[in-house]
Amino acid sequence: MNPRVTAAMLLAAGAALCAPGAARAQDANPMLLALSCAGCHGPEGRSPGSIPPLWGRTAANVLESLAGFKSGQRASTVMGRIAKGYTDTELEAVARYWAQPAR
Amino acid sequence: MTKNNVHGLSRRRFVAGAAAGIGLAGFSRPVRAQAAPRVVVIGGGFGGATVAKYVRMFDPAIQVTLIDPARSHITCPFSNYVLAGFRTMDSITHSFINLRANGVTQVLGTATAIDPVAKTVRLAAGDPVPYDRLIVSPGIDVRFDAVPGYDEAASEKLPHAWKAGSQTLLLRQQLESMRDGGVVLMSVPGNPYRCPPGPYERAAMIAHYLKTAKPRSKILILDSKEMFSKQPLFQDGWKALYGDMIEWVPASKDGIVKRVDAGAMTLHTDFAQHKGDVINFIAPQWAGAIARSAGLTNQTGFCPVDPVTFESTVHRGIHVIGDSSIAGALPKSGFAANSEGKVCAMAVVNLLKGRPPEAPTYVNTCYSLVGPDYGISVAGIYKPGPQGIVEVPNSGGTSPREAPLDARKAEAVFAEGWYRSITADIYG
Repeated sequence: MNPRVTAAMLLAAGAALCAPGAARAQDANPMLLALSCAGCHGPEGRSPGSIPPLWGRTAANVLESLAGFKSGQRASTVMGRIAKGYTDTELEAVARYWAQPAR
Repeated sequence: MTKNNVHGLSRRRFVAGAAAGIGLAGFSRPVRAQAAPRVVVIGGGFGGATVAKYVRMFDPAIQVTLIDPARSHITCPFSNYVLAGFRTMDSITHSFINLRANGVTQVLGTATAIDPVAKTVRLAAGDPVPYDRLIVSPGIDVRFDAVPGYDEAASEKLPHAWKAGSQTLLLRQQLESMRDGGVVLMSVPGNPYRCPPGPYERAAMIAHYLKTAKPRSKILILDSKEMFSKQPLFQDGWKALYGDMIEWVPASKDGIVKRVDAGAMTLHTDFAQHKGDVINFIAPQWAGAIARSAGLTNQTGFCPVDPVTFESTVHRGIHVIGDSSIAGALPKSGFAANSEGKVCAMAVVNLLKGRPPEAPTYVNTCYSLVGPDYGISVAGIYKPGPQGIVEVPNSGGTSPREAPLDARKAEAVFAEGWYRSITADIYG
């Protein structure tokens, strides 16, 4: 694993664990939300295959895609079905997570 | 020197440290500062390998030990493509070497018993392994007590091939040896079982092979259910690609196999008997042996868990993830096990630090191939509710039934991409 990435991951994990809102049961941890993406988009969003990577994109760019998938304005195979499962706030949190500078 | 010896040496030091920690902190409090908390994971499949990797990633101060008798994992996902002839076993085998590089220690052995009071895992050979939190992820075992005539010996002739490995190769070899014009019988169990759409993808992959190599052959699916995952999509795809080669018989049309005659290569239902040239008997399943012997299962044969942490509701301090667990609306899939592994890893880190677990979201995305250029999918987003894990309303679902061929082609390409990504996420 890339040590720089590990450090970023740990910082993110630490921040999430220590955040004042962490104990509020209904607040979704942005990292926990976002790590689901890696199941298709690869570890750290660096997809090794045919699925578009999340690595290196800006939060605005990721959010624009997600919002388009959710509304149906942006065509997709599966992302429309997935994006509909999240609130707008959750999608923003996911987009910000993947756009962290170290990433 | 073997890995076990190296491990045994360091473990004795850890036991001493942990004992001192317990003495100071008291039994009810997590062991901190004096010794690294010990997380032990049983099973290196999609769930177990994910949780091992992510606990280390979330908190490198935690000592993580993976117990598995093998040095690599052969994935059930994509094993159907070995049957079709366009994947090798090597390409679906993933070494644990990168887990070890990420700081996970492996104990090469089989877990045979769990002592939830002493907090140790006993092995078939070697010293017991102590834990502060244990994660059990053994996958399924095929039941050899469920259908008369289908025991372990019968499975050497009528492979289930529902745990990837020698069974997969056996079924492939039988298909290769079969005459043109032969009948392939498949028996599919009732719910719950590993990978709900798997049997129907398998039928398609076998049909793909037979269509080119033995085009006069037939596939007869005897099902214990009335309906199945992605059913209209599969049935459309079967028809489009393989004509009448695949026939599906639901439970109400006498599809339930009541008895197996392995010697005569015959499956008996209530009113008929079916002789097969090759028989793929996907038998009923339950949680892996260690989960059953540890008493983690209920009357269903699977393990009830907390929907937020996947901690067993039978034994505190032990979590069960993946196909062995009862995860509400989440299916028994590799993707779900990966999702559960990440949530469970975070919960375990929080609990070891005395912090409350956080509200999780689970995801499943599951591709099936009907042909090499014909893919379909189902996806779902899930959250814990008062009655367990439920799907987020108005989201998820299957690929549309009416879709152009280039959409099916795109999903076949994404299926391949999904496999590369998720195996990199777990074993990379």
